[in-house]
Amino acid sequence: MVSPILEVSGISKSFGGIQAVDGASFSLGQPGIYGLIGPNGAGKTTMFDIICGRQVPSEGEVRFHSERIDGQKPYWLARQGLARTFQECRVLPEETCLDNVLFAAQDKRLGGELWQTLTRSGKARREAEAEARRLLRLINLERYADQPAGALSYGQRRLLEIVSCLMSKPRILLLDEPASGINPTLLNTLRDFLVEIYEETKIVFLIVEHNMEFIMSLASEIIVMHQGRVLTQGTPERVQSDKSVIDAYLG
Amino acid sequence: MKATIVALVLLVAGALAPVIFAGQPYALYVLTLALCYAIPAIGLNLLYGYTGLVSLGHMGFAGVGAYTTAVLMKDVGLPFVPSLLAGAAAAGFVGLVVGIPCLRLRSHFFIVVTLAVGMILFTLFNNLDGLTGGAEGLPGIPRPQGFAIGPLEVEFRSLTGFYLLAFTVTTLIFAFQYVLVRSDFGRSLSSVRQDETLAAARGVNVFGHKLMAFVLSAAIAGVGGAMKVLFLRAAAPLSFELQESINLVLMLILGGAGYLIGPIIGAVIFVGLPEFLRIASEMRLIFFGFVLLLLARFAPRGVCGLAEAAYKKRFDREEAVGIAHS
Repeated sequence: MVSPILEVSGISKSFGGIQAVDGASFSLGQPGIYGLIGPNGAGKTTMFDIICGRQVPSEGEVRFHSERIDGQKPYWLARQGLARTFQECRVLPEETCLDNVLFAAQDKRLGGELWQTLTRSGKARREAEAEARRLLRLINLERYADQPAGALSYGQRRLLEIVSCLMSKPRILLLDEPASGINPTLLNTLRDFLVEIYEETKIVFLIVEHNMEFIMSLASEIIVMHQGRVLTQGTPERVQSDKSVIDAYLG
Repeated sequence: MKATIVALVLLVAGALAPVIFAGQPYALYVLTLALCYAIPAIGLNLLYGYTGLVSLGHMGFAGVGAYTTAVLMKDVGLPFVPSLLAGAAAAGFVGLVVGIPCLRLRSHFFIVVTLAVGMILFTLFNNLDGLTGGAEGLPGIPRPQGFAIGPLEVEFRSLTGFYLLAFTVTTLIFAFQYVLVRSDFGRSLSSVRQDETLAAARGVNVFGHKLMAFVLSAAIAGVGGAMKVLFLRAAAPLSFELQESINLVLMLILGGAGYLIGPIIGAVIFVGLPEFLRIASEMRLIFFGFVLLLLARFAPRGVCGLAEAAYKKRFDREEAVGIAHS
């Protein structure tokens, strides 16, 4: 049997007296768009932070392609092909949109950086730039390629953040509430865009989301968390008709 | 493109300075001294302007480089180039030792620690009599040996000769800064300054990059300190006291942190302007305190920022006019 791409088993984490995550387990077997949902305080964000290396779990382990990754530093995880976006949306405000995207693809190892700069051929540079421009075109930001990213609107920055992640050719993409702060019209564009890039990359997308309508229409599989545990995992239809999920949300 | 032209003009003007100031040795003296400050200011620029870390003890690192070079040349009798490189290495090493525990601190705690390190280093220079000569310092440091290429005699004893040496070293350090900043490494440093969390999520080892920047910055400061004592022919602790470190930060802010040319412009103005205006050295801080207030209000990015804004404004207007005419 092939090991799952991401496997979370028995994760617990408490802050002071609050048990944020309490023995949560789930696994993402094959490429797909996965949604991680749950009412406020369900432990989604903590779970997300643990997978991204911002928090160390008190118990349990996280495996990525059967390699243990819990407790590793965010930069190390990024180098392993784990790309993430932030709930509050982060871009490099002073760099141009093009440089923001190009930066994601760069080798960040201390020795590697200087070596890359000295040995990079014109061809490699042009190819990287062409790819970056192609990604910017996908989100209609090509005309802003040479503008600083700080000048973009919030929605545009969110899209820029996602394509920057793609530029690094990740093996898994984690999105933290991509729909927050996006108006309903742009939301449809965002959904189409995410489906489009999923079809192109065929990697695991794990999306933490509050907007039910958005995530139910996007994800192929939903993981529901409640009070620090995983309540259920399944297709949107199944999850939506699950009695325990309805109870948790209404309850 | 425009920046390249500016750099070339400055390079030519700098090389021709002995001719330009032919009858004015004092002007050349001040310019040489300014270059001796421009080098550590470049080091600080790498740290403050590009990585976003403030060091208030940078002249302390310059002092480590200065005393190392001075002792090697005076007592060991080593030639100039290896002594200078050893000075840079020693300053970089002290940077490493300080950086490993301190760079994990949050920014304002880090600033306070650099202040303390600067003061500790000053105290050491002032009291390690056997090594540094204590408060009296090390007098009689020899100037670098001259050499001859065919009929061309190159010497560093005269003011002109030493100016050209300082100018060459500054140019090399500037080129080093340019390569670092424009490399992928420089981009990573800049990402750390803009958003540490994002930089880490993109694969930048924030601590490792900060440490590297700090070590390089301290090493560059060491080169500057060495040039300063070679120029003055004496190493004294007062050259590397706290006030000097603060002056260095002022120079950088005045010239424009985060601009390649900022530290050089800042150093030349900071060292040169009071001489030109004949301001007594005691008045200097009052004068620059006032200048700093004006800068904070009207030009937070220094002289370079001001120049850039003026250039953009003019360029935009020309463009607008061009569109109107077409």
